[in-house]
Amino acid sequence: MSPEPILVEQLSKTYQVPEREGGFGAAVRSFFKRKYKDVKAVEKVSFRIEPGEVVGFLGPNGAGKTTTLKMLSGLLHPTSGGASVLGFTPWERKSEYLRSMTLVMGQRNRLSWDIPAADSFLLNQAIYRIPDDEYKKTYKELDELLELEPLMKKPVRNLSLGERMKCEIAAGLLHRPRVLFLDEPTIGLDITGQVRIREFLREYNRRTGAAILLTSHYMADVTALCERVIIIDHGQLKYDGGLTDLSRKIAPFKLIGVMLSDADSHDLSRYGTEVQNEEDMDKRYLQVRADEVTRVTSQLLSDLPVHDITIADPPIESVIEQAFNQ
Amino acid sequence: MLNIFKRLWQVNWAEQWQYRANLIMYLLYWLVSPIIYLSVWTSIASAKGSVNGFTAGDFVNYYMILLVADQFTSNIVIHNFAYKIQDGSLSGELVRPIHPMLTNTLVNNLAFKALILVGFTPVWLILTLIFKPDFSGVTWQGVLLSIPAMLLGFIIGFLLSAAITSLAFWTTRVYSLHEFYYAVILLFSGQFVPLTLMPKIVQDIAQYLPFQLFMYYPIQLILGKLTTAQIIQGFVVGLVWLGLSILFFNFVWRRGVKQYSAVGA
Repeated sequence: MSPEPILVEQLSKTYQVPEREGGFGAAVRSFFKRKYKDVKAVEKVSFRIEPGEVVGFLGPNGAGKTTTLKMLSGLLHPTSGGASVLGFTPWERKSEYLRSMTLVMGQRNRLSWDIPAADSFLLNQAIYRIPDDEYKKTYKELDELLELEPLMKKPVRNLSLGERMKCEIAAGLLHRPRVLFLDEPTIGLDITGQVRIREFLREYNRRTGAAILLTSHYMADVTALCERVIIIDHGQLKYDGGLTDLSRKIAPFKLIGVMLSDADSHDLSRYGTEVQNEEDMDKRYLQVRADEVTRVTSQLLSDLPVHDITIADPPIESVIEQAFNQ
Repeated sequence: MLNIFKRLWQVNWAEQWQYRANLIMYLLYWLVSPIIYLSVWTSIASAKGSVNGFTAGDFVNYYMILLVADQFTSNIVIHNFAYKIQDGSLSGELVRPIHPMLTNTLVNNLAFKALILVGFTPVWLILTLIFKPDFSGVTWQGVLLSIPAMLLGFIIGFLLSAAITSLAFWTTRVYSLHEFYYAVILLFSGQFVPLTLMPKIVQDIAQYLPFQLFMYYPIQLILGKLTTAQIIQGFVVGLVWLGLSILFFNFVWRRGVKQYSAVGA
């Protein structure tokens, strides 16, 4: 086994996208002469992921996350740069490589829509050449963690989104891949469903020591699973490091929430920057530098009619948003 | 590998079975144009006595066997595969360690054929009652020889369609190109008109093309109308085209997969 499952060096992908203005004239002109624009989806991205690591891959829409995952799983050829996963060059698409990794996308892809998941599972068993006893063992484990059994006999089209996602993930893991690329594995799921999948991934990682690189729009996925995050924006690497360091480096702030009598009549601007918090309209929130928190808190308590006060870390969403805006 | 094909068969058979009504529509579509050609040519032949030596009865025999040969040699790769490149759903198949075209799509075509034969057989029997073909010239040697000929025709046709469909990796939409390809088949396979009635130049070209293997060549084999020399030539040309179509498909596929942009999500 290679010492590092994922090694990415100066990886770049440029798409050529046809471009034209709206309107009939432009449509006719573009029929004869097409203009192309180079879109740099991924630009000289480098990182390495060790065995057993779970890494969150973050960035706004169109940042190049999915493109990177598609290159690492061998679907796309890069424009330049290199990558080695488990010692293989992904886009050479060697069977041995495809058998030891998985790509799960937050949409249907592994299961046939028209037939029960059980049949697709058996097909995967054959495709990945999983011996019967090993298949049974893995299936039992997956069933324990995801409660698959009641879903297996129904045609996939009749499953709910959450049920289908569970089956998709299980189908992608039957062959016990050593590297998992997960693109939005919890998209569209309700909170319970999300928690389920998260717990499952943590457990799978613990049991098998597989490396996981996952993208998600739900920060809870990231905070629950990943100690390390890689952030890219406009195709470029912006941050690679610990999740806790990220907050400290990028947003060394705390949020102080206060509930006041006649909330609106007080001017809080001299204590810190007031921020909106839509989840809690009863309180007013102040963003305060971490080393100022004690001073500001005692001042607030002595100056104002405070009913209730809370001090919290800013939500990771806003931290990451700040990271993108830097 | 055998196990993979077994499981693929189960999945594809079950899938096709879900779309029985769709399949009947396909079957009708498949039958319409040969039956039209049959009707047109037999009425012309009846009016004139014969067309270049082809009597109305000859046309009936020819087209009744054409319907069978078409069932065995045709494929639906374009319908099964092109959209997967367009909408990116091919990604799910490309990350699996098997060739999407030469396993899943191939089996899908076979399952489709198997199921459509169930519907086709009674329809064909009814058509024989209506048109009353005269199969007295059919020899068992001819029928036996037609089996490898149609198999060759199917494999070549599958690979050529697969290669043309794979052009979708570049152009995204390949349906119009495929329509053009289909027109070429119509002409050179002997579906539009038996090749012997074509101008000499078309016949000369057709015998070196693979398309006669789809219809004309197996039909003539079954009807016992070919000389030994013609039989040998047909198989040799077929084997050469088999090699060429393997090379052609591989060439397009390898470059196509590099070109694939895995759109969506």
